[in-house]
Amino acid sequence: MSNGFRLNVVRIVSVALVSMGCMQASYAGIVSTQAAIDAETRAATLSKLEAVLIQDAVGQQLQAFGVDADHVSQRLQGMTTAELVNLENRIGSEIAGGDALAVIGTVFLVLLILELVGVTDVFKSL
Amino acid sequence: MFSRVSRSKTSPTTTANTTPPSVTRPVRWALLLGCWFVFLAGCASIPEHVRQLPGQAQPIELSNTPFFPQERFQCGPAALATVLVSSGAEVAVVDLVDKVYLPGRGGSLQVELLAATRTAGRIPYLIDGTLDSLYAELRSGRPVLVLQNLGVTLLPRWHYAVVVGIDPSAGTVMLRSGTDKRRLTPMRTFLNTWRRSDYWAMVTLRPGEFPAEVERSRYLAALAAFEQAGQHTGTIALWQAARRRWPAEPLVLFGLANAHYADGDYPAAETVLSELLAQNEDNAIARNNLAMTLIKQGDFAGALQQVEHALAIVTDANIKAELLATRSLATAGLEHTTRD
Repeated sequence: MSNGFRLNVVRIVSVALVSMGCMQASYAGIVSTQAAIDAETRAATLSKLEAVLIQDAVGQQLQAFGVDADHVSQRLQGMTTAELVNLENRIGSEIAGGDALAVIGTVFLVLLILELVGVTDVFKSL
Repeated sequence: MFSRVSRSKTSPTTTANTTPPSVTRPVRWALLLGCWFVFLAGCASIPEHVRQLPGQAQPIELSNTPFFPQERFQCGPAALATVLVSSGAEVAVVDLVDKVYLPGRGGSLQVELLAATRTAGRIPYLIDGTLDSLYAELRSGRPVLVLQNLGVTLLPRWHYAVVVGIDPSAGTVMLRSGTDKRRLTPMRTFLNTWRRSDYWAMVTLRPGEFPAEVERSRYLAALAAFEQAGQHTGTIALWQAARRRWPAEPLVLFGLANAHYADGDYPAAETVLSELLAQNEDNAIARNNLAMTLIKQGDFAGALQQVEHALAIVTDANIKAELLATRSLATAGLEHTTRD
């Protein structure tokens, strides 16, 4: 939580800094095609600084879910800003496709529970 | 399975002698009802437009699709390798594990599959979630990566597999799935497991390649995202291919100009942006980029003119910040040249 709060403070401060014009020259450049699409679709348009900050935040969250620090930047590289915004704080709840094999385990578990409460009778007959 | 469970429940022999009816009967009925709901959820109807195939559809199977049997929890890297290698990318499952496998979740997220596709030099494109779209991709020679929930909504088993064939007459779908090289799944079962992921399906396109059924804005967004992932040369050809398809689309011209700019060809970028602004002179973003191409060519006064025009019409705060930054650059350049 305090991390999120700190991030927000940093964001607000950096947006303020940018709009004050202190750092303009160093940020001059063309607007990327991706940013143009974001602006057009009213998706998250972030300043370049915000985009960097959100990338850091998601990177830390990936590490918290066991990703090796060496692989983080490479994994983030392919994501768009909008994807990063969607992913932030949701790594734990997004769908994670994993295993076909464990289906047997689940079915077994359901049957076992049903068996224990007396709905089924498959195991006793074995 | 659940139907069988509920049927066995109705058999009087199991209920009569195992438990005292007073306490457990309501519990059992609740469970039975629960099972019935789960069963019903499993058979929720698949919309007509999702399951319909063209009338004379012949069986199709991409037998040459490679197969990478998955390790525990790692259907994501295995399925992704299957489609990437099919599209000619040189990737190995072990490397993809480092790019898409999330140890803390015991699986892979959809967005990471998209990201890893881009860094592997292929464009991820989400096709429409219909059998017809799957079939069309197969006919174009592309296997399709799908997300299935092999369990039920309450007990999800999310799984990535690759559709390599459809046999309409036999009613089966052929998959590279888990450790099965050629898994035959009844169409109905496949549709049920696919429905729970909202029919998520992805193809990996070579640069310049179009999906069988292309939706313009989705495709262009896919291109821009691919470009943003960087590391790619030859994006000019990619936008030129898009231009041949949609000659007047502003976003295509914008993307093409940016590709020229990234390549250092400022005059070419200027030409395309001027063309775009001839269509719509109030495109503030295009004016910013035109100003940048002019700055790169030493025309600071011309750049300032573009920026001032854009600043008068811009609404988006971040675009405005870009314009102000470009203006400082142009002003600085102008002062520098007049001083000399």
